[in-house]
Amino acid sequence: MISPRTLRNLRSELSRSLLAKLGIAILAVILFIALFAPLLAPHDPTEQDLDNTNIPPLGFTATENQTTSEMVDGEVKIVEKQVVVNTTAEHPLGTDSLGRDVLSRTMFGARTSLLVGLFGTAIAVVLGVTVGITAGYYGGRIDDALMRFADVMLAFPSLVLAIALIGLWGQASLRLPDPLVASGIASQTMPESIVLPGTVIAVVALVNWVWFARVARGEALSVRDQEYVKAARSMGGSDLHVILKHVLPNSLTPILVLATIQIAAIILLESSLSFLGFSGAQLSWGFDIAQGRQYLSSSWWIATVPGLAIVAAVVGINLIGDWLRDALDPGIEGQGGAS
Amino acid sequence: MTDPLVRVDGLEKYYYENDTLLDRLTGAEPEAVRAVDGVSFEVREGETLGVVGESGCGKSTLAETLMRLREPTGGSVTFDGDPVYDLSGDDLDAFRRRAQVMFQDPFSSLDPRMTAGEIITEPLAIHDVGTVAERRERAETLLEEVGLSADQIDRYPHEFSGGQRQRIGFARALAIDPEFIVLDEPVSALDVSVQAQVLNLLADMQAERDLTYLFIAHDLSVVRHISDRVAVMYLGEVVEIGPTEEIFESPQHPYTKALLESVPRADTDERDRVVETIRGDVPSPRNPPSGCSFRTRCPELIQPPGLDVPQATFREISDFRTRIENGDIDVDLRWEQVGDANREDRAAFVDSLREEAFDEPLPDADEETVREAIRALADGDRETAAATLRERYRSPCEAVEPALPAGDHPDACLLNEQPDDVEAAREEWEAEHDASGVGTPSQ
Ligand code: SF4
Repeated sequence: MISPRTLRNLRSELSRSLLAKLGIAILAVILFIALFAPLLAPHDPTEQDLDNTNIPPLGFTATENQTTSEMVDGEVKIVEKQVVVNTTAEHPLGTDSLGRDVLSRTMFGARTSLLVGLFGTAIAVVLGVTVGITAGYYGGRIDDALMRFADVMLAFPSLVLAIALIGLWGQASLRLPDPLVASGIASQTMPESIVLPGTVIAVVALVNWVWFARVARGEALSVRDQEYVKAARSMGGSDLHVILKHVLPNSLTPILVLATIQIAAIILLESSLSFLGFSGAQLSWGFDIAQGRQYLSSSWWIATVPGLAIVAAVVGINLIGDWLRDALDPGIEGQGGAS
Repeated sequence: MTDPLVRVDGLEKYYYENDTLLDRLTGAEPEAVRAVDGVSFEVREGETLGVVGESGCGKSTLAETLMRLREPTGGSVTFDGDPVYDLSGDDLDAFRRRAQVMFQDPFSSLDPRMTAGEIITEPLAIHDVGTVAERRERAETLLEEVGLSADQIDRYPHEFSGGQRQRIGFARALAIDPEFIVLDEPVSALDVSVQAQVLNLLADMQAERDLTYLFIAHDLSVVRHISDRVAVMYLGEVVEIGPTEEIFESPQHPYTKALLESVPRADTDERDRVVETIRGDVPSPRNPPSGCSFRTRCPELIQPPGLDVPQATFREISDFRTRIENGDIDVDLRWEQVGDANREDRAAFVDSLREEAFDEPLPDADEETVREAIRALADGDRETAAATLRERYRSPCEAVEPALPAGDHPDACLLNEQPDDVEAAREEWEAEHDASGVGTPSQ
């Protein structure tokens, strides 16, 4: 399916583009962190330490405006209390309002974001491509019906959909044992399971599949009129043969490019769903941002660190998407050859 | 040797426009586009039948309908005695093996994501013939047979030239050992020098493998050397069919003659040569002319009984009449050109339009009739103008539809031998229109 020519294009585009290398580097780091979070994180991300709440990142100071009333010389006085940094590297990126280590939380949060991004996109691709190719290839009434339905889906605001589904299913989530912890490689104090937030994945897939359906339909529409499709049918190729051997392979490039962009969009959507409390996951960038929001004026790092992580992931993935688009687009339909 | 392998009988393929849900709700009549409009012919075993016509004449739709890539709206095709449109299951499978198509476009006929080997073995894979290794071996043999080399098997289409791509397309058509191949303009997209090589390859393979071809082209010169017989198509109909030499030596139908006259020397651009040299445009298949479909362009348009003007003049008068009937003459614009805002100077209007529409001299009586029609037009009375001309210049070609008679070399033109019912209809029509005051322009 991937021809040597495609590989060549990918390679030459990669060697040309600094941004593509940057995108790959960013994503590789995030992936690495997500995979080995239990080994890399300095603390259990869920461990609370109420004596050490709202500690700023290493080297930063924080003023905490605590209005306390004290009796001084028989008078009630309002005092402002200043909390200054701990200079140890115990919590390099500080702690949150419950004293949990922000760095560890952000590292584990990457898992949720990537899982939702990958699974959500995968489901959206499968659903969207199936619907889109069916609509585009068969055309006519089937096309009308499917794409109308897709438009209706698109008209639903994602949050309304999320609320509806959560109302229906609850915050269904799957807990998978973390192999690193279970096998004893990582410390047993780490969370023993990876949470797969099912409802969130379903929501982001349902919100996003329509884009894939549209792109796939457009591709199928143009591919089905190619003479090689007529040729395959005249040889006796079934619809399934034509779709799998011709329509799908020739539609994949724009779908792949769209998928990378959509992973980024889905990570953002997951964050906002978690931020609003719709996610079952208690360990996610969006959840942490929501937690940190109310301390933004005093303890900015609680929300900012996971926020920066989201930015990095989205930028990295988009850079990769650009690379794929640039490498796969020119002359992909074989028009570039000598004739 | 002369058994028909393929018999096409009254084949029709209409497309319907205005057939969406909205149109049906609003009650718009579906409009038929008659791409193939009642075509009958036979292809005999071992022969090549050339099918020639300008682009838009329905020849490619004919090919696709014949191969059951589209369902016909009427008529039938039999392949070796079996009705193609009734086949299903194993019989359809067998038909799909025995009949193959080779397409026109060297770019879009090969999947850009498959290697030459995958392309050539696709029919084998579909019909589950042989093992993967056997198929690959077969592809290598075929590549060499069509003049490429076996080690090009893993290359992608873009690595080949147009002529080489067509060879691959041909190898694919040959892969499953068919008996019948529809060649849909197989060389139209190629340079003239490459055309000859590919045509030779097609001819060699036919001789070697006893193939039967239906060869579609827009250009008579291409089919001349490869075809045993030629069918000429115009607006979805076969207007003349016969042995190649007879078609070239003594063409009968005015359209065939015009096509032959337009076959140019090799150095002109091969794309639009036909369109350029026959006057007028091909009418829309949405609304084909009544009677003979070629009558809007025919240089031999038959004059009504009693009328005898020079043929070129008659052609011009008929064209002028068509323009009036179709409302193609902009009266307001003409008045503006005349420069008479009050629209009083009818004589100037008449002179202006008369000069613009006619290059040929008009005999006196006809001059008067034409001017009378234009005067009606100047008054904005298009109906009267058209009726004036229609009365005097109505041709049998627009009233009677010619048909292909039986025989070896029939043609559908009223000037030539016609089936009895057509002859009878014509006689009836002429009897009716003989006494209608032709010869004396109505005052
Ligand atoms: S029937 Fe009339 S219009 Fe048609 S080809 Fe013959 S002469 Fe021309």
